[in-house]
Amino acid sequence: MDIFDLKKEEFIKWINDENRRKGISRAVSSYVIAKENVLSKMPELERIRKEVRKIKEKSIDNIFELLKMAMEKIEESHGNAYFAKNSIEARKIISDIIGENKLVIKSKSLTSEEIELNEFLEEHGNKVFETDLGEFIIQLRKERPTHIINPSVHVPREEVAKTFSKLIGREVKPEIKELVKIAREYLRDKFFKADVGITGANVIAANTGTLFIIENEGNARFVSNAPPIHICIVGIEKIVPNLEDAFKIVQILPPYATGIPMSAYVSMITSPSRTADIEKTLVYGVHGPKELHVVFLDNGRSEVIKDPILKEALYCIKCGGCMYECPVYRVVGGSFGYNYFGGIGIIWSAFTSGMEKIAAIIDVCTKCGRCKELCPLEIDVPKMIEYLKIKLVEKGYISKRHREIRDNIINKNNPFGE
Amino acid sequence: MLLYWKGCMSRYRTKSIIEAVEKILSYLNINYITLEDEGCCGSILYRTGQIKDAIKISEKNIEKLKSLGVREIITSCPGCFRTISKDYSNYYDIPFKVYHFSQFLLKFKEKLKLKELNAAVTYHDPCHLGRHMGVYEEPREIIKLVPKLKFIEMKYNRNKALCCGYGGGVRSVYPEVAIEVSNSLLSEINNNIDFIVTSCPFCKYSLSNKIKVLDISELIAMVLE
Repeated sequence: MDIFDLKKEEFIKWINDENRRKGISRAVSSYVIAKENVLSKMPELERIRKEVRKIKEKSIDNIFELLKMAMEKIEESHGNAYFAKNSIEARKIISDIIGENKLVIKSKSLTSEEIELNEFLEEHGNKVFETDLGEFIIQLRKERPTHIINPSVHVPREEVAKTFSKLIGREVKPEIKELVKIAREYLRDKFFKADVGITGANVIAANTGTLFIIENEGNARFVSNAPPIHICIVGIEKIVPNLEDAFKIVQILPPYATGIPMSAYVSMITSPSRTADIEKTLVYGVHGPKELHVVFLDNGRSEVIKDPILKEALYCIKCGGCMYECPVYRVVGGSFGYNYFGGIGIIWSAFTSGMEKIAAIIDVCTKCGRCKELCPLEIDVPKMIEYLKIKLVEKGYISKRHREIRDNIINKNNPFGE
Repeated sequence: MLLYWKGCMSRYRTKSIIEAVEKILSYLNINYITLEDEGCCGSILYRTGQIKDAIKISEKNIEKLKSLGVREIITSCPGCFRTISKDYSNYYDIPFKVYHFSQFLLKFKEKLKLKELNAAVTYHDPCHLGRHMGVYEEPREIIKLVPKLKFIEMKYNRNKALCCGYGGGVRSVYPEVAIEVSNSLLSEINNNIDFIVTSCPFCKYSLSNKIKVLDISELIAMVLE
């Protein structure tokens, strides 16, 4: 069996898994309806998304300048800014801040999945709790996320009930409201007992060093606010020049990510918590964290910026809409990806984790181009996929079938060999 | 000189499309040539990253077409259409114009005398023709030429059309996925239609499992007076 045969088996498993298919198809239909509705009610998004494309183009072209500015501003505001060249460095920086045997709470961060942070922290004796409901569910099920916005998209309510029954040691009904209540009760005291909170960020404004965290559950507010230490792990591509630009991204993310006009919460964090109310003496860590650490992750990003074709992948604002809209993702779900998903995810996995990781997965993309049409930034994913495929073939990653077809074309003048 | 480029898929799997195109071309009294040794346009090689072989095949084809004095090419395969017009021109100056059959046919709409057809149809946009080449309206205009034919749009059409699952080399490596993608497209189709019209041999092949699918050429050939 080669990598293509193995991947094929995985795809077939997903196709035949009724539970996962049910979960994805419910999520797809509610997403599509909600998004169409919100886009029709907010025609200004059409203009804003085009402005965001320009903002991202400009930001990526000046990324190192912006990174320098953002790091300086964070330090000026009594935060700590770090640059991590790769996953190993990022894990070490974070682990050194945390230490051992601590209680760590997290809000959803695909960047932390990218560097496989949880596993590393647990190896150091820390207890790590995911607090985003979807992430919490898959953490309990010991699975990996299968969608960037909705990581447990493949787990229908019946399966969540089974997982939660095991967690609290009594039978739980597959009623969604009841399931949410259980998660709320279970995680509540973790927020206040935790030593460290880890979040990602959706956008960073360089001119003030402000982190934007967009969410609906309210967990990221707790994670970034309740523990005495807040660590944010964020890819360098998330930086834009200023607050005005950042707000534009904040406006298009919720509609395209979940089909809502605006998320329940947008947290803007510029420094650790502070006061000067007593005798104008500045003290850090009042009700919020005493320490703020921002880890900027490169991990292949600065290399990919040099590639004129693949650079476009860094414009992605990670709304995840293209996944729901992808005809292939709809049937094979999270198996269409490695640590990022769908067409754009394959490109991301290639430069953050290594091209060989997606060598077999890439052949499931039909290059239909629907993702490009529905992407708010019109990112040309099929073009990048074809380009990446050429590089893979050059390295010898090609399926037997595609090789046979090639031989047929050369020897028999047609792909069928007839 | 005008060449009808048939395409591998139609030459080996959907021959009825070739018959239909040729019937229409002769009905319109159009002078054209076809190639006995047509070969492959290279589409699948381009789509599967085998770029060196794709370029070799392209060069061979361009030389052959040049030596025959071909000025215009029509093809009924969107894969060939995209490859010959777009991929070839990424590497070479091509001395010929390429049209998809639907674009070509529409230019002769005044000359088409068509019989009535009491049926309801929908149109499936092939990815290579629509999103890749921007040809959305010509096939629809042709369908609307048929008297009495009721045309119902799919919910997701034009640039938002769903993919049939067979493109990009997926069918050969992961056929189970390709079939499932085509099934999910079929599940979105209105129950009140009699058949699907498309304009791609791959899409016809992939969607024909459960419902009748006619290529745009087959539809018109069927109703020619």
